[in-house]
Amino acid sequence: MRAWWSKLRCMLTGRRALAEDLDAEIASQLEFEIQENLARGMPPEEARAAARRHAGNLTLIQERAREAWSFPAFETTPQDVRYGLRGIRRSPAFAAVVILTLALGIGATTAIFSVVNTVLLRPLPYPSAERLVYMGESDPKAEGIGVTWVNYQHWRKENHSFEEMAGFRTAHLSLTGRGEALFTRAGLVTSGFFGLVGAKPLLGRVFGPSEDRPGAAPTLVLGYQFWVSKLGADPRVLGATLALDGKSYEVLGVLPPGLHYFSQAIDFYLPMSQFQGEIVDRTRHGSMRLLARLKPGVTLNSALKDLDLIMHRLAETDPGPESNHRAYGQFLAESVTGDIRPTLLILLCAVGLVLTIACANVASLVLARSTARVREMAIRAAIGAGRRRLIRQMLTENLLLAALGGLTGLLLAQWGVRALIGMGPREIPRLAETTFDWRVLLFACAITAATGLFTGFAPVWTAGKLDLVSALKDSSRSATGSKGGQASRSVLVVAEIALTLVLSFAAALLIRSLIAAQTANPGFSPERVLALELVLPSASYRSPAAIAGFYGRLKQDLRGLPGVTAVGAVGCPPSAGDCRDWFYSILDRPAPQPGEVPISLFNTADAEYFGALGIPLREGRAFAASDRPNALLVAIVNETFARKWWPKESAVGGRIKFGGPYREGPIYEIVGVVGNVSQLGLDTEPMPEVYLPFSQSPAEAMVVMMRAAGDPASLAPAVRHRVAEIDRNLPIESLRPLAQNMAATLAQRRFSTLLLALFAGLAMTLAAVGIYGLLNYWVRVREDEIAIRLALGAPRPVIFRWAGWQALRLSLAGAAIGMLAGWWASRWLESLVFGVSAHSIPIMAVAAAAVIGIAVLAAAIPVWRATQVVAVDRLHHG
Amino acid sequence: MPTVDNPLERLEFLQGTLEVLILRSLQLGPNHAYGVTQFLERQSGEEFVVDNGSLYPALQRLLQRAWITAQWKTSPNGRRAKYYRLTPTGRKQLVAATSRWQRFVEAMGRILAPEG
Repeated sequence: MRAWWSKLRCMLTGRRALAEDLDAEIASQLEFEIQENLARGMPPEEARAAARRHAGNLTLIQERAREAWSFPAFETTPQDVRYGLRGIRRSPAFAAVVILTLALGIGATTAIFSVVNTVLLRPLPYPSAERLVYMGESDPKAEGIGVTWVNYQHWRKENHSFEEMAGFRTAHLSLTGRGEALFTRAGLVTSGFFGLVGAKPLLGRVFGPSEDRPGAAPTLVLGYQFWVSKLGADPRVLGATLALDGKSYEVLGVLPPGLHYFSQAIDFYLPMSQFQGEIVDRTRHGSMRLLARLKPGVTLNSALKDLDLIMHRLAETDPGPESNHRAYGQFLAESVTGDIRPTLLILLCAVGLVLTIACANVASLVLARSTARVREMAIRAAIGAGRRRLIRQMLTENLLLAALGGLTGLLLAQWGVRALIGMGPREIPRLAETTFDWRVLLFACAITAATGLFTGFAPVWTAGKLDLVSALKDSSRSATGSKGGQASRSVLVVAEIALTLVLSFAAALLIRSLIAAQTANPGFSPERVLALELVLPSASYRSPAAIAGFYGRLKQDLRGLPGVTAVGAVGCPPSAGDCRDWFYSILDRPAPQPGEVPISLFNTADAEYFGALGIPLREGRAFAASDRPNALLVAIVNETFARKWWPKESAVGGRIKFGGPYREGPIYEIVGVVGNVSQLGLDTEPMPEVYLPFSQSPAEAMVVMMRAAGDPASLAPAVRHRVAEIDRNLPIESLRPLAQNMAATLAQRRFSTLLLALFAGLAMTLAAVGIYGLLNYWVRVREDEIAIRLALGAPRPVIFRWAGWQALRLSLAGAAIGMLAGWWASRWLESLVFGVSAHSIPIMAVAAAAVIGIAVLAAAIPVWRATQVVAVDRLHHG
Repeated sequence: MPTVDNPLERLEFLQGTLEVLILRSLQLGPNHAYGVTQFLERQSGEEFVVDNGSLYPALQRLLQRAWITAQWKTSPNGRRAKYYRLTPTGRKQLVAATSRWQRFVEAMGRILAPEG
């Protein structure tokens, strides 16, 4: 404490005096020694020199003595920073390369991390979001099935684990009575929903328990966007009514902006009870799922066990085909980001590898520079710089470079994030909300500091021991440090090549998968097809006959349009995903165990659908006009379905029990087999699928497919016109070329492939720069040696082989390690790879050849230069 | 570090001992830095080599703790030199350090001494 005070006092009274005092004191000591030496009888010159020698390094002594008075950490740092900046200014090219390399690495990593941060790490914008759970039912074959209304009531009342529980689903309704008919999206919720997502009304009120009762008056709560854009933000809307599907709903309130719980934009919220009525059947499934908040301290597992107890009880008191159903739950955060999580993590790893390669490159550059600076360092040491001080200064310089790189990287990242948001697929939740928050900044600072330390310590580790005498005597390039430096730089380059190969292999796998997905035979020809998606409001189309009548007339009209060659309709178009799946069994086959009942996709198609899309008929017949509602119920199955049950013989004549042996359901006789279509998306394996004829099971929601002679998009105005002619109040859900819908299913794959390819390209460039730099240096150092060899009669091809072997050796070593690492790492890619094995030898061979090729190409210039050494010049002037 | 194997090589100071030795050298009266060096080398039978790079910082530290003070004076042979003098605190510290050191040396001796 005392010492600290006197230091402070000294700082205030002035350093200069102290320095002068020390100078005088040291001089006086020298004088004493000289006098003593003279007294011993030494000649004056020698006496002076001996005293000087004995006194030691005066500057260093001064520095050390003064340091005792200072707060070294505070005082030398600004000095180091000044030296560092001076060093950077002195070699701008070196600094530019280092800063740019680091900026690329740090920028790309920060950009990807900020997406990961927003999409995966940032908590969902709901109160106590970490306790929110998405729930459904599960049976031995499937998870996340819709919860039945009856089960929901039991769960809600009898559980001991949840604070609150609410049901939700979406519905499409048409709004009439306010000008042109509008197609609207509604969120159907129970009253607890608003509390769970933390939505307080902007105007009026939200639903309370009274709205949950069956038979309550129809009410709704408006979404902010809909209120502003469609109702002119009129506050008098409270108490007014909206006609939805022919039923009047009173407006109770308006929500504030910013509620994005559902994946699609919601126009308004309706009480779920309006769509349930009095249901007592415990197996009546809709698409309702539950949102629930766990009580604090209750784990999801124990909460699910709690609900399962209720399910066990219900199975005893109210047994049925679903007695084996259990509760299924997943944290909301996971269910929202489930699909994209592995992709984003893989991208983060990949970009981390790029950063590592950038670091290796910079470390290699710094190493080369520090060998070139051995002399400078030796001189500094000779005039009194301590070893620790030198190391600290080198570190400061590199941290400074890293900081500049990091800053530039942040700018790049900002630009990169905007690009990512622009090209990212819409399926990535919250991608558009990506911003830089403190976590991203902290991350950027951390990786910047890490890269600075890593690249700064590289020369310290290898050239740590400074041999003053030899460094000062010898020319810099033969200083002992360079051998160690060369070896560590070789290690760095080998590592770079290995990492680059890992990335290239991954990128090649994804590119191959994308090509496979794009060229995958969808099972039909999507070109020149216009898809018209309609949902008939059940209020105006109550009977199957009305629905059939509307579509019949529409198809008739559309067929009459000039340029339309064929028209067909389907319930669930290709690539739309899983619109409906259900249990089934095959009659005349052993009945499956209750938990083993198979599931198939069920779809609806009219007689012309297969022909219009060019889906080939493999066996039997297509649907026909004779398949009337009162005739024999028929079905067409796809090839996967047919081969599953009739691997050798024809499936025609087989009979399907809808719902399986334990549930009510009609029986269909198979009349035809059609080719598989990619129902779930282009990059998926086909599933069993059953088509039911539209004529026997008409559906309100159909997609009418029109094959055009020319550009399908040009038909759109005429199509709209025809639809309005038949029903002025019918909104069109979507109208666009089918090929567009198909391509949209690959958006996410294209996104991740593009990014990974970009990273691999970046890695290749960095690795090429790395190997070029190393070999260039290798050749420069050996120019004398080469000249001597040439002078002694070595032919140039020998020199070429010698230098070339250096390049090849490094590339091969790197490639070998990279192949092993890539092979091992590709297991993480399994989920993203399609149409090819994640362990594909040809793709590995291509990737390795590309990386070795790039490395050899990068080495070509230095190797060529080695062969161009002119012996005479070199030996005379070198 | 000097190796113990070579008896010709002189000893370096253990961490922190130099300051105690400086205090001891000033116990006899004020002295300048060169005088301190000579005293320590002579008294140690030329076993210790006093490196100026260690001596000056040590002196500065003692000054900071106010265990010694410094003053420019003229030496008996007519040269100006900076003389260091023990303060009362320094004297106390020396006594304490001496007894601590002796206990340490005795303990070391007991451990290192050949048995019997």
